[in-house]
Amino acid sequence: MTYNIAMVSDFFFPQPGGVESHIYQLSTKLIDRGHKVIIITHAYEGRTGVRYLTNGLKVYHVPFLVIYRESTMPTVFSFFPIFRNIVIREQIQIVHGHASLSSFCHEAILHARTMGLRTVFTDHSLFGFADAGSILTNKLLKFTLSDVDHVICVSHTCKENTVLRASLDPLMVSVIPNAVVAENFRPLEQVEALEPPKPIGPNDTITIVVISRLFYNKGTDLLIAIIPRILSSYPNVRFIIAGSGPKAIDMEQMLERNVLQDKVEMLGPIRHEEVRDVMVRGHIYLHPSLTEAFGTVIVEAASCGLYVVCTRVGGIPEVLPQHMTTFAKPEEDDLVMATSKAIAALRSNKVRTDRFHDQVKTMYSWTDVAQRTERVYMGIQGDIRPEEFYGYYPGQGWEASGDRVRSFALIDRLKRYYGCGVWAGKLFCLCVVIDVLIYVFLEMWFPRANIDIARSWPKKLKQKDRNQLSGTATTNNPERMGSAS
Amino acid sequence: MPSLSESPPPVPPPVPVETHPNRTVGKPSGQQRALPDPNRLAPEDAYYSPALLRTRTAPAGYDESIRGLSGNSGAAPVAALRPPPVPAPKLRGTSRRRKRKGAWKKLLWVKQSYPDNYTDTETFLDHLQRNPRVRPYDFWPLVADSTVIVQHVCSVVIFVCCFIGIVQGRLSPVSVVCWSSVGTAMGWILWDAWVFRKHGESNVAERAPEGDDSSSSSSMTSSVNPSATRADQKDAQVHGLGLTMSHSETETGRRHSASLGESSQDVASPGHAHMPNIQYLPFDAPVASRLSARNRQRLSTVKSAFLIYCALLGLSPILKSLTKSTASDSIWAMSCWLLITNIFSFDYGSGEGAGATKFPASLSTNAAVMASTVLASRLPSTTHVFSLMLFSMEVFGLFPIFRRQLRHISWTGHVLLTLALVMAAGGAVGTTLRGGLTAAVVGSILGSILTALAMGGCSWWLISLQKYKNVVTGPWDPARPIIRRWE
Repeated sequence: MTYNIAMVSDFFFPQPGGVESHIYQLSTKLIDRGHKVIIITHAYEGRTGVRYLTNGLKVYHVPFLVIYRESTMPTVFSFFPIFRNIVIREQIQIVHGHASLSSFCHEAILHARTMGLRTVFTDHSLFGFADAGSILTNKLLKFTLSDVDHVICVSHTCKENTVLRASLDPLMVSVIPNAVVAENFRPLEQVEALEPPKPIGPNDTITIVVISRLFYNKGTDLLIAIIPRILSSYPNVRFIIAGSGPKAIDMEQMLERNVLQDKVEMLGPIRHEEVRDVMVRGHIYLHPSLTEAFGTVIVEAASCGLYVVCTRVGGIPEVLPQHMTTFAKPEEDDLVMATSKAIAALRSNKVRTDRFHDQVKTMYSWTDVAQRTERVYMGIQGDIRPEEFYGYYPGQGWEASGDRVRSFALIDRLKRYYGCGVWAGKLFCLCVVIDVLIYVFLEMWFPRANIDIARSWPKKLKQKDRNQLSGTATTNNPERMGSAS
Repeated sequence: MPSLSESPPPVPPPVPVETHPNRTVGKPSGQQRALPDPNRLAPEDAYYSPALLRTRTAPAGYDESIRGLSGNSGAAPVAALRPPPVPAPKLRGTSRRRKRKGAWKKLLWVKQSYPDNYTDTETFLDHLQRNPRVRPYDFWPLVADSTVIVQHVCSVVIFVCCFIGIVQGRLSPVSVVCWSSVGTAMGWILWDAWVFRKHGESNVAERAPEGDDSSSSSSMTSSVNPSATRADQKDAQVHGLGLTMSHSETETGRRHSASLGESSQDVASPGHAHMPNIQYLPFDAPVASRLSARNRQRLSTVKSAFLIYCALLGLSPILKSLTKSTASDSIWAMSCWLLITNIFSFDYGSGEGAGATKFPASLSTNAAVMASTVLASRLPSTTHVFSLMLFSMEVFGLFPIFRRQLRHISWTGHVLLTLALVMAAGGAVGTTLRGGLTAAVVGSILGSILTALAMGGCSWWLISLQKYKNVVTGPWDPARPIIRRWE
């Protein structure tokens, strides 16, 4: 069973970032599994119109007003005509939105429900409940997610957060982590390294790598506080810091005040392709972030064979096994202690960092992510029975279906939106009714029959099919097939 | 999906990791599970109705909500968790199934034999905390705190009434400014005496660290420790000096030791206003020189007051015709907004901590000065303008400093001043509306009663609103970094 899927988000290449690469990697792996995937994002500077990426991944860059940090203007309805056109052209069945700060994604989910399509939403970030910005975002999220078919979160902490923010049924939220392309994050190989790896002696230099944007919420203040303390107690330690941001000035001031320029190397902003080359120069990866939904970078570091020191915040404790990491509280003293412990562990050669890469490779792969996402698609499309998808326990007097299989009847949708709040509920209902009216209008004014159907990218013949054609029996693991084709 | 046993050998078996950033204790024991803390959310609260969520206070209610959930989950729009909350005998079935499948772990790197949307009832929302840092209010301290606001509102009201009196010609501007100047002078003398006494006391307290703090016991916030209070007083005093001596402190401040040097130093770096560095200054200078320093300080204050006086005198003709081309309606509206801004952005705090105020104190002062400027420009003569401007400086610039200091020094004085202000404001309003002594008396009595009611009512209202407070914190909140250097 293959589907036509539209990934919708404000954030996509050419802008670099975690969400962007998540969408790209997931889409390519889904295409490898035989689905048809298109990506809808807004027009970036120098990137407009329709583009094809590798393997026939089609990207629609819709012209739209960008207001802040590549987020588009939240206009609720104005995206509908072109969205409907794209969806009909591409015969989309499932609309998959990404990132809760993307108004594109919220609009797309609303319109897709109006058009009778199944929707999935992936949340990549954590939000608090206290400040005004979060309250607004959470209300918007509640609006969108009142009628979504399924939600995917990148960690269990993220799931708890999303369930609370949008008052969701926890069973409608799946946890599917991010992954890394392990091949891109290999440790130094024997050929590459000048000499064979030898155990770290007590006087060898240990290099600590930090790759992060230098923002407050990335814990740069903690980093600035601990670097002089670590360097004063360990003369054979060096730091490599990559990334830039508003805190870079503070960092440089600290270096000048303590005269540490020869022990701390500041690389400035680096591209994602260079991350691995920086990482393999070090032994320890330090991640002092204050909030993190998943923390892909620590998986990348572990994949490069670095021992990870990180703060115990957000979803980070779920990401890596304990033998690869040392956790610290987000406090200066504790972080210094954890780093010291990590240095001591490396010096005593208790940590087998050379095995990390293979272990990480078995833990995280995009093929696995695509497979699990496909199960979500099957569940919401009804190709897996709801009892199986949401869980069925015979003899417990409990019906599996409930409200989880979201019907498209307008009255049911309105009921869901109405429960969002005293005033918000009525406002949301109004929005939905207007949306339906716009849809009816569009159907009359621009009839479906007048919209051309786009030709699909010619699919490569699946290996299994090819094997069947040639008549040879195959023992290929179907899981492998995705990466092979 | 491969089960746990299929994972490759080099990966050691998973260890459940404590995910909460600030808790190091292990998982809550079964005992705690059985009796959930009513202050924390249970998983079903995530989608349960908010009304139920708030009223759920006792474990009995908790059980009830579970039973209600499993009873009508088919009909209710909310859906049940999985494994569905069931009565006790079913729970054994759940655990048996779990034993068969291997316990679920809150980890991402381990391939588990549970579906992705599996929700573990035991660990789901485990670390959620509700209202972790809520301090309940008490009625009377709240009322006592509100006196500060009442004082300021009353002084604004008095100012406005004086202006109306001047505009309508019922009040002589010269008499207004004379009386207020006399009051200001008296206030300054009092303030000067307090500062001197405080200074001597703090010297004594330094020499004997266990010295009595009877002077600061009047501070109503009992949690504030004496040293902080003293720092506040210094802070306030610094504010005062900075305002009155703004013209002369630069040339005179640096040369003197003792109080003047300390004040100018603090004015120069307001961020360190209550660092105790002042206390290390040598204080064994002879008393005579210290006295002369005090006199110098007084002299400079008088000098700066005289400077401001002259500047106002020179500016008055300009201010008089400043808004000639603007309609009076705009002026009334504008001054209204400016005074409201002044009231809302005024620094009502006692000066604790450098970042205690969200708005800079200058915003409220500037708004008040601008309001009085535009109001003054409606007045007929230069004398009027000058009087009103001077009056407004005294009311909005100097009076708040005096009030703050008075609150630190003597709580009784603070209450008496509040009472006097309330009655004066009520009387002023009465006179403005009706005129005559009777109206003033009626106004002051009515004003006092209304103010008392408002203070009590607002305090009660705030306390009753506390039950709607629902702060949810959890591991998703950005952690607060604890950095020693900053403290």
